Order: sequence, then structure tokens, then C-alpha cells
Amino acid sequence: MVMYSYLGQEAVTRLNQQACKSARDFLREVPRVEIFIEVHSVSGKYLQIPEGRLSILMDRTIVSANNITKSFVSVRALDNVSVSINRGEIRCLAGENGSGKSTFVKVVAGVLAPDSGEIVVNNNSYPKLTPIGAINEGIQVIYQDLSLFPHMTVAENIAMNKMVAVHKRLVNWDEVYRVAEEQLELIGHLLDLKAQVGTLSVGNRQIVAICRALSLNAKVLFMDEPTTALTQKEIDRLLSIVMDLKAKGLSIIFISHKLNEIFEVADYITIFRDGKKVGDFENKALDKKSLTYHMTGREVEYPRYRRVSNDDLPLLEVRNLTRNGNYKNISFKLQKGDILGITGIRGSGRSELALSLFGLNPPNSGEILVKGRPFNIKIPDDAVNQGIVLMPEDRQTEGLFLKKSLKENISSTILDRIKTKAGFIDRKKQEEIAAGSVKKLKIRTQSVDTLVRNLSGGNQQKTVLAKWVATGPELFILDSPTVGVDIGSKAEIYELIHRFASEGMGIILISDELEEILANCNKVLVMYAGEILEILTEKDLDKPDVGEHILAVMSRSRIVDSAEKFKNGEAIPR
Amino acid sequence: MKVRSLTRMEKYLLAIIAVYSVVVTIANPAFLTFETLLDMVRAASGTLILASGVLVVLISGGIDVSFTAIAIIGGYVSVRLMLSTGINSLLFASAISCLIGLACGLINALIIHCFHLPTLIATLGTSSVFYGVMTTFMGTKGVNASQMPSSMVDFGGCQLFVIPAKSGTTYGLTVFIIPVVIILIVTWFILYRTMLGRGIFALGNSEEAANRAGFNLLNIRLFIYSFMGVVAGIMGIVYVSEVRWVNPIALVGTELSIIASVVIGGAKLSGGEGTIFGTILGVLIIKLLNSTLVFLGLSSSWNDFFIGIILIASVAVTSYQARLKNRRDLIFTE
Repeated sequence: MVMYSYLGQEAVTRLNQQACKSARDFLREVPRVEIFIEVHSVSGKYLQIPEGRLSILMDRTIVSANNITKSFVSVRALDNVSVSINRGEIRCLAGENGSGKSTFVKVVAGVLAPDSGEIVVNNNSYPKLTPIGAINEGIQVIYQDLSLFPHMTVAENIAMNKMVAVHKRLVNWDEVYRVAEEQLELIGHLLDLKAQVGTLSVGNRQIVAICRALSLNAKVLFMDEPTTALTQKEIDRLLSIVMDLKAKGLSIIFISHKLNEIFEVADYITIFRDGKKVGDFENKALDKKSLTYHMTGREVEYPRYRRVSNDDLPLLEVRNLTRNGNYKNISFKLQKGDILGITGIRGSGRSELALSLFGLNPPNSGEILVKGRPFNIKIPDDAVNQGIVLMPEDRQTEGLFLKKSLKENISSTILDRIKTKAGFIDRKKQEEIAAGSVKKLKIRTQSVDTLVRNLSGGNQQKTVLAKWVATGPELFILDSPTVGVDIGSKAEIYELIHRFASEGMGIILISDELEEILANCNKVLVMYAGEILEILTEKDLDKPDVGEHILAVMSRSRIVDSAEKFKNGEAIPR
Repeated sequence: MKVRSLTRMEKYLLAIIAVYSVVVTIANPAFLTFETLLDMVRAASGTLILASGVLVVLISGGIDVSFTAIAIIGGYVSVRLMLSTGINSLLFASAISCLIGLACGLINALIIHCFHLPTLIATLGTSSVFYGVMTTFMGTKGVNASQMPSSMVDFGGCQLFVIPAKSGTTYGLTVFIIPVVIILIVTWFILYRTMLGRGIFALGNSEEAANRAGFNLLNIRLFIYSFMGVVAGIMGIVYVSEVRWVNPIALVGTELSIIASVVIGGAKLSGGEGTIFGTILGVLIIKLLNSTLVFLGLSSSWNDFFIGIILIASVAVTSYQARLKNRRDLIFTE
């Protein structure tokens, strides 16, 4: 119904615009989708249509980017790419990092000007769009960083862009609240309008960003990796909102590295590789394997890890470890060459446990034994001295010095070892170590002097790995090591993890991606609400239905979780 | 207008002021008089004017250290021009001073915007340049009290109402309260009732997001720094009228203590946050210390010591709270 009136309105406007042409010409010009509009009285100098029902054919395409080419200094980021987006569809853009997806989004949003090609929006052709031009045509982009104002209220964040767009001079606070309330109502969500955005969860911030886009009459909504930092529940909520918006006639372009999300929401999937479009596919025409093949250009397999070490001395043993409010009664053993998976939804205590093993977030009770001896890890230094290192989940803020070079990042953990007698850094040694790591971990970079922020996500992640591997750790805790990393690099990172373990390192791998856990681990703990629900051994992991089993445990938890929240009166999110 | 509830910082400051006043009164009952209050208003006038400008700059995420130079240049140049042209008019002086402030502010804004410079470095540079230009072309000769134009002296001595004191002298409410109140109201209106003001907040929250939202950052910056310049110009006139003579090297060097009082009032150096009421409290607390150490029998040399303590304490408290909150969210930044 919404679709009907929305298209009808547009068709009438267009009829008026075309009044100088005969109605017949107009009808011939835009074939494709047949819609009916109710005409009450349309008349003009050259155009007269009697009252009654009129059947016209309307173009389904809302945006088409034709033959777009865009080069940066020496790289062709987009090579003669054509994509058209239809009304009311969800189109996923898939491709590895650097395949041109983001460049494509920026071109359509008017942030970048293409070298050649044209963008046609609502039948208006542009050689290049401006950001304001794109907004006026109803194109909205929700960038990965969300571009929100953390110290401002929810209401203002939602309404601000609209106020700017209509060139307001004074602020009418009643209107600000009204606009915000309307948009939140539209997507059926409750938020405290006066809360500061900086205090909201990432999932709720995403909702604020969506409302802001909608307030500007978005017709085409680009979402750049919207689910990266969300919990599973928030992802489910976001995806249902996305489906809702589609039902309301919005076109959504969804970018994600998570294949199961792509298959969950997409009508069509457009695949990019090396700046070229591989093709447009219907959702049903692809499966994980073929999608991966098209994205990477090769078969990507994640081989299972098999422990080869026969040194059974436990590297780490945890007994009844409890941290009030985070996790309780955690016990497990880790031997040399083990890759121990800890899985569970966000908030299950998995990351909190990892922090405790690294000397942050100290436990309230329980024991940690390192190589059989009880050890009290109070600060990260203690952990590092015992050969325990942690790769945090958020590599950008916690794992890397983005504005420093690759070699400086890699050597940042071993400054003591590369210092000269006078206490200065031995530059030659620093360079050697960095070059060695680059080779060993296959980091793709022009030189060891490249700034880390200029590397792709996968290579950044390898740099974090390199930085810690340089210290020669015995136990490596990896928290979600492939978040925001594309498929190709993922396979390489898995390969590295397997190699480290085979060489005798103990590894704890924290992840909520089932595939990742199954490919890498020879032991798995499934955590929920701070407790270990199940411990899966190598034998369990060999069973063919183990994946479904883990999912069942986790989804059972999810129902329990929402039931508990409901009991505690937390059903309404803030 | 809906009255918002006080921010946590404002509550702290109000409590400190109340407790401190009680302590001083107990130590020396002479403190709690109407005269002391009016005296403080007079002493705080110039600082409050500058602080409104500083608040705007800090909210935008910038920092301006050239405003004291601009203020004294405005005051000095306008007095010298009055003397050389013979135009003895407060309006003339104010216009000259404001124009100088406007010009300097626009220069600051253009430099910051066009070269993407850190605002501290840019204004540190321009403050020397402005000051150097003035001393080169106008000299550094002071203007003593007997030479001061009568319109200014009258303005400086003018009081809205006069109350006879017991000692036979009189005291009253300075006329400076008028520009102070006007500037505070204008600042409030711009910050909270105009899109320009929201743009200033937006810029301080996130430059990138403000740009993507469609704010014209050049215009916003032009406004921020020229506003700072103009209020500095006004303060220049208020200042020379108050002290009744001009020493062209006065004021310069006090900019950090004024920025400090705005920061004590809850504005963040990282931008995006700050309130007018907090700023007023921040200025008051410093002026209160300034004028009451005597009542406690301490020499005025303790002044800087206490201001420093308050500044560090106020910043440490907010940062500690943020850290606690981060820890709860499992973010370890230290």
C-alpha cells in the first residue's frame, strides 16, 4: 500500500514534468513494471488524461551506476562497474577488502567523483554526484563509524541532519523531539530521547543512525558493515528492521563480511573482486561455497586443526575461577599445541574471562596454574612474563598504533630486546625483525615503513599477531581474531594459528563464529551467562552434527536469556 | 524555557562555593556582606566576558590563546586613537576595539580552517603576530590615568546604584554587569537556540560527522573565532575603563587561567561539552579564591596554588569517573 501511493505520487509528478510530450511517448519510454494509479484530474497545456484508472509502466530501477571507473594514484579501485538498484530490494555487496565495495558506495554517495561513467538516480543522470545532491535524491549512507555526535542527545542526533538539510537557522526543540519520535516510531523502537548517544550500546547507536537516515526521506539506504560490533540479539533486531524497511519500499544496500547474514537478508548479491564486478546473483543462485569462490577467485577451504604435539603437560590450568558479575566456576586445562575454543554470545563472559587471564579484570576467587604452578596474574606485565599474550578484539583502538609504521608496531612489544647498550633502539635489528615477521606471516605491504592505518583489515590483524608472536609467547589468547577480516585473509590467519599451535604454542580462541571454532579448535567450551555449559573434546568435534549441536546449545541459551531479561523487566531496551 | 537539571560538575561547584563561603565567613564575618558580593561582580566582569568566548571555542573542540592579546590590543589601540583624534566617545572606542577583535578572529579562523592546523599552535602563533604588529606600529608607551579619555573613566566608575557604606564611602553595582549579562545571554542563545550553535557543538563532537551532516565548517569556524575576537575587543574596553590606565603589556599571559576557569566549569578540552552556568561558576570560584584569601589571612601569593589545585582536582575527578565507567565496560585505557 505504501509502495502504491509512493510510486503513484512520483508517477504523477513525472507526468507533469513530461507534459510537453504526449502521454503515449511517456508510456513507451519507461517500460518494465506495470502499476496502476488512480487519476482524479490531471490536465495541462499539452496533456489531458481523463479521470479513472490508468495503467502505466514504471521503471523499477531507482539508482543505476553505469560504467563507473575510479582510479587512485596507481590503483584502479573501480573498473567499468555497472550496478543497478531496484525499488524495495535488499542488495548485498560482497567482496574482499579492497575489492572496491567502499569506493563504489562513496561514488554513489557523492563523496568521491568517478573518473568516468554516470550515475542515474530517479531518472536524473549525473556524471558525478555531490554529497548534498545524493542526499536530495534520497541516497543515505550509514558509515561503519556511524558519524554520530556522542555528547548530544538521541533526539538531536536523529533530527540534526534534517534540520541542516532544510536550512534551519533557529532550533525548534519541540520539532527536534517530534522528528525523532516519529522516526523511532516508524521503525517500532523505543529509546530515551534525552539520553546521550555516547552512553548507548552500539546496537542502539545503529538504530539512531538508521532513524537519522530515514528522517531525510531516504529511498536508498547504504549500510556499511552494520553488524560488526553488535551482539547476536542486536544483529537479529537490526536484520528485522532492515526487512521491515524493505517492506516499506526502501532499497537497501547491505555490506557485510558475514556470509550467513548476506544469505539471510539479500534479494540480490552483487559480487566485487579487484575493482571489477563479478556479477549480480539472486540469493538462491548462490551458496556459501560459490559465493566465496566468486569473491576470492579460488576455492577457500578451512581445514580442520589436528593436534600433533604429544607433550601433555598442562600449560595453563584454571580452577573454579570466578569474577562476580562476569563469570563463575570456570575450570579447564590447556596443553601444548591445544587450540581451545571459547564460544558463546557476547556478554556470555568469554571476553571477560580472557581479560582476567591477561591480568586485566582480576578474578574474585579461583586459581590459575601456569605450567602446574599457581600464579597470581595481577597486571598484564605478569602475564607477558609468563609467556601469556592477548590479542584484543578491537584491533584499531587496543591492538595497534595506527599512525606508526609496521616495523614500529611489530617491535613495540620487544623494545628491551632490540635496544643497544646505550639504550637506544637498534634500527637495523628492528628492521630485520619486522622484515622477518612480514615474510613469516605473509603481511602484504609495500615496505616495513608503511603506516599501519594504510593496511587492509586482514593485514592489520596479521600485524597484531606479528607484534605478539615476536615476544615468543607460550600461550596466545585470540579474541575474535577475524572480525572485519575478509575471507581470503581469514584462511591465511587460520593457517598461521594452526602453524603456531603445531609448533607447540597453546592457543585460546574466542569467537562466536561457529565455522571459525570448528575449523581451528580441538577443544571447545560453550559459555553462557558466565558459565561453561558444555566442554567438547576432539572426539565430540568429530561428530558430523556437532555444528548444529553447538548452535542448539547457543540458541537455547538465547531463549533463556530473553526470558530472564523479561523476568527482570529489562525487555524494553533503553 | 524549560529549566534543565544541573550537570554533576555544576552541582560540585555549587557545593564547593557554598562550603567555602561558610568557612570564610566563620573565619572572618566581614566576608559575608553585600559589598563583598558587588565587589566580586566587578572583579569578575572582564573574565566572564572572555570566558563566554572561551566556552564557545572549547565547545567546538578548539583552544584559543590569542584572546588576551586581542583584548589588550583592542583596548590600547582604541585609547591611543581616541587621544590622537580627539574623539572622546565610548561608542567609538568600542567600535574600534570590536573591529580589531573581529579582524583578528577572522584571521585565526581562516588560518585554522585552510591549513588544518591545531588550534592551539595557530593561535599561539597569531597572538605573537598580532601583538608584534601592535607594538611595532603603536609602540609600547603606557597611557597613564591623567591622560585617559574622560568617557572611559566615567564608564569605569559608573554604577547602576549606589549604597553608602558604614565607613562613609560608597559602593555599588558596576555598570559592567550590563555588557556581561548581554554577552552571556547572547552566547546562550547562539549555543542553544540556533543551528549555528548546534553546529559548534557538532564540530566539537566529531568534525567528520559534522561535515557529513552538511554543516558548513568554514562558516562555523569563522563565527567561533570572530565571536571570540569581538568579545575580547569588548573586554579590552571594559578592562582599560576599569583600571583607568593602559599598560600594553597587561593581560597577556593570563589566558591560561581564564581557560582554566572555563575548564573548571565543566567544559572539556576535547570539545562538545560545556555549559554557560558551569562557566559562570568556574569563573566565580576563581574570583572567590582571589578575593577571599585575604579574609583567611593568607597572602595573595597562595592564589595560583589554589587555582592549580582546583583545576587538577576537577579534571582528575571527571577523568577518574570516565575511567571507572570504562572499566565497567571492560575498556582498559591506561
